[in-house]
Amino acid sequence: MSNTYEFPLKQHIGGEAVPCVVEGDEIHKGQLLAYQGEGLGSSIYSSVSGKVIGVEKGLIKVVADAEQPEEYEKLKSTTPLELIKESGLVGLGGAGFPAYAKFSKPFKNGGTVIINAAECEPILSHNIARIEKKPEQLIRGLRIAMEVSGADKGVIAIKEYHTEAIKELKKANSDPSIRIKTLEDIYPMGEERAIIREVMGKLLPVTALPLEAGAIVINAETACRIQEAVDLKKPFIEKDMTVAGKIRGNEKLIQIFLDVPLGTKVSDMFEKAGGDIGHGLSDGYGEIIMGGPFTGKRTFPDAPVIKTTGGLIASECFPKGPEKIGLLVCACGANKERLEELAESMGSKVVGTEYCKQAAEVGSTRKCENPGRCPGQVQKVMALKKAGAEALLISNCTDCSNTVMSCAPKLGFPVYHCTDQALRAVNHKLIRRIKDSQAG
Amino acid sequence: MSITKETLKLHMKDPAIFCCRREKGLVISEADLEDPSLFDDMVDAGLLTLSPDGLKIEQVLGSTLLQDVEALTPITAEVLDKVNETASPAPEKAVEKKTAETTVPVIRTENKGDGMIHIEIAKADHIEGLKLDVPAFAAGSAPGAALTESFVPVPGAAPSGEKKVIRKLIKKHMKIIKVELGDKTSIKDGVLTIDKSVVDKAVLEDPLCKSLALDVIYPDQRHQYTETIMDVCPIATKVEGELGEGVTKVADGVVFMLTGVDEDGVQVHEFGSSEGYLDEKMYFGHPGCADENDIIIRCHAVIERLTGMTRPGPFAAHKCQDYVIQTIRDELKKYDGEIVREEICEDVRRSGNPRVVLVKEIMGQGAMHDNVICPSEPCGILGGQKNVDCGNVPIMLTPNQVRDGSIHALTCIGPATKEMTRHYIREPLVEGLAGDTELDLIGVVFVGSPQVNDEKLWVSERLGSLLESLDIDGCIITTEGFGNNHIDFIQHIGQAGKRGIPVVGVSFCAYQGQLVVGNEYASAMVEENMDKGGFENNVAGCSCVTKEVAARAIQMLKNKMAGVEIKPAEKKWNNDVINANNRLLGLPETVLLDNGTLH
Repeated sequence: MSNTYEFPLKQHIGGEAVPCVVEGDEIHKGQLLAYQGEGLGSSIYSSVSGKVIGVEKGLIKVVADAEQPEEYEKLKSTTPLELIKESGLVGLGGAGFPAYAKFSKPFKNGGTVIINAAECEPILSHNIARIEKKPEQLIRGLRIAMEVSGADKGVIAIKEYHTEAIKELKKANSDPSIRIKTLEDIYPMGEERAIIREVMGKLLPVTALPLEAGAIVINAETACRIQEAVDLKKPFIEKDMTVAGKIRGNEKLIQIFLDVPLGTKVSDMFEKAGGDIGHGLSDGYGEIIMGGPFTGKRTFPDAPVIKTTGGLIASECFPKGPEKIGLLVCACGANKERLEELAESMGSKVVGTEYCKQAAEVGSTRKCENPGRCPGQVQKVMALKKAGAEALLISNCTDCSNTVMSCAPKLGFPVYHCTDQALRAVNHKLIRRIKDSQAG
Repeated sequence: MSITKETLKLHMKDPAIFCCRREKGLVISEADLEDPSLFDDMVDAGLLTLSPDGLKIEQVLGSTLLQDVEALTPITAEVLDKVNETASPAPEKAVEKKTAETTVPVIRTENKGDGMIHIEIAKADHIEGLKLDVPAFAAGSAPGAALTESFVPVPGAAPSGEKKVIRKLIKKHMKIIKVELGDKTSIKDGVLTIDKSVVDKAVLEDPLCKSLALDVIYPDQRHQYTETIMDVCPIATKVEGELGEGVTKVADGVVFMLTGVDEDGVQVHEFGSSEGYLDEKMYFGHPGCADENDIIIRCHAVIERLTGMTRPGPFAAHKCQDYVIQTIRDELKKYDGEIVREEICEDVRRSGNPRVVLVKEIMGQGAMHDNVICPSEPCGILGGQKNVDCGNVPIMLTPNQVRDGSIHALTCIGPATKEMTRHYIREPLVEGLAGDTELDLIGVVFVGSPQVNDEKLWVSERLGSLLESLDIDGCIITTEGFGNNHIDFIQHIGQAGKRGIPVVGVSFCAYQGQLVVGNEYASAMVEENMDKGGFENNVAGCSCVTKEVAARAIQMLKNKMAGVEIKPAEKKWNNDVINANNRLLGLPETVLLDNGTLH
């Protein structure tokens, strides 16, 4: 394992943080390394005690001491909102929007704080693991978020099959203003607007913020870290994550690590999971994904764990794709650039790109008009066939994949999905056709 | 992911496919092979084409590659230095039956190759040491909960535990040959006359019931329109003793059929109702239904507007019908006509035999999903308690109590998969288990299926403690309906399984009812489906526990208790496997009803 920790200055939405240490500084765990610049952003703290060995462009490197203390340098602010801001906490669902900014406009006449505990990406399971272990922490974090935002209601949205976690939450909760909302198990129930639709019964337009529905949505781990920032005055220096895939030894393919120090090397995480040999990775793997199978990005063994790291998945080797491939992009899964990267790894040339009808452009990105309630895809599939594609590579959510699967194979069109190699790596069922089921 | 040594054992006969590109010179091990459980998805998506020339895993392990091979292509003999020898298929043989007197018989039946039947009985004094591989059957495929069904007849009659009769029930069957509507209710010489004005009094039983009408449908008049079928209820009455003992009179050849709409003409439980032509909407002859030759007394209720999907609305219809039936019961008590059949039912203990219970999960979500338990009269309403009011907790009945009409069912959304009142008075699993001289049926547990998930868990935990305290050697758990109730059904199986109790699950799953949840204990499952497309086809009583389902379930329980390996299910529901098992047990073929649901 390495003893070097790296802290990129931009691990969030907003401006780069500004370094306040120089090479050679002796630092303590929890000490500020870089402070939030002007405008939106977040501060960065050291997750270890040690010595700064480099302040390069966009990155601070720290060599950790052999002995690491339990304690950390405490935050100095006094009010909850200031503590959240000072802690450097960002939304931990993936995008990394600074947490304090969500609370910048308190509700005037009450509102709802929704905890997103959907943990929607397949394989990832660290959120539920924490909830099962410390349900009271989540409830307390939610309570603080409600106070800070002036909300009078709290909702924990969680998938219905997490019966153990739901039971623990109910046991831990005695506050009548907090309720639990169970969600169906399809991807992308955890998408912000999908959650609001399920909880508030209101489908927001793609350009709207949750505030327009009288709601703030925060990820489950974010709420737990809010509790730590406010009650323990702890800076945000540790992150929960799921390490999975082609782990050497082939035994435990999905492992949970709670409170991993930020800045840890990706390869060190696999060593923790699979041992020293070959950095804990199996001999052949396709790529390492940081994040979940749908929306994660490619990363490398030398990269550090950052604030938004939720999953590290060593995927199965890429199969050899056809010569020409067509891309069908869904706003809820991998974007065009990511699919192009996957196509290249399969050795296929992209001959056409289509977007799901519901994938509306919002700024530089795309959002789904009604997540998980999908239109037909025949037209798009036909267009790609016309463009000369011999197979499809899609990034669609569960429901869309269903519609693709109901036409493409019949047209003699093999369908690859952006999540395939990750799911194969843990022997999970692939995202393809779903079957209907009825209550009764 | 390449597969583990553990997984490998389960898949030796599955196709060998590389998970990654592999190069010349490689000695093949399990780490190079893709998990066969993913093949179906990959084939569906067009990513993998299995070839008849492709080798099986057991044939390639340890062989060396002579050329580079891409991922996800079948491994064939030409790319390997050698192909492992495996047992060549033996000629097909019928399943042998054990001759009675042998002490240590050895039975081997092999049918290797695609069909794979391999049965080995090393010692068959009872059912010890039984081994078998038979074709798995699949019903719904869901993560972690494949359905499996496989068994072999237990050879010969094993010595049974000593039979001790606890109590006896005599059901005296009296034949009704004609039903008329008249001025006074009476039974005379096999003719049942019903006072047609009784409906005016009956309707006063519950203010939510607005009107009630009776008419009589003879077997040759079945092709007529009916509103949704809410229940089929026999006419039976106590003449001696309490429910489950003494003497009960049962009217044969006639049943009540309750139908209902609300004041706006909306079908009661409009959400999967069974209105339509009667001959197409009931599976005549199934336990819960009218038999082919039964005279049907249709009792049609109109209930208050918008109460069709509430608890009190449908209950009002049942209650008012029961008033009508009670007037007939009173006459049946007095009727001294011919007893055409005497059915002796015994609650027995057979100490020394495996102790088993039957758990029947019944609807308890409220609205029309309710059941009245232990009424004063067989199949009645009065004097009983609703399982929803009882918190859906498990309630133990004796087999005789069930056979004496302890359950009045109020369940009808998804009519094909629900068990109506008549089902319970002649429940094939109760009959089968109670009469099985190799088992000791301790009792029948009824447990309601609540609406809310955490209530489901709560109820299931209570069931778990009950099962543990009974110190049983095995149990069969059935459910009715599909989807919602499968959550607790699987929980129940888990509660038994984690206590080390061998458990067999019985349910409609097929295509539409594929299990949404699962656990490692749901490995022995019996399918009830009788619809061609595997759907809830709205034909009342179509896909429920039948004699054949019961026989398969009981055999599977014996196998499971004996430690016989039950093969994992095929991924998709396949009626051929069910029929292969029917043949093994000498049961008639399961013929699927074509109701236009096939896709």
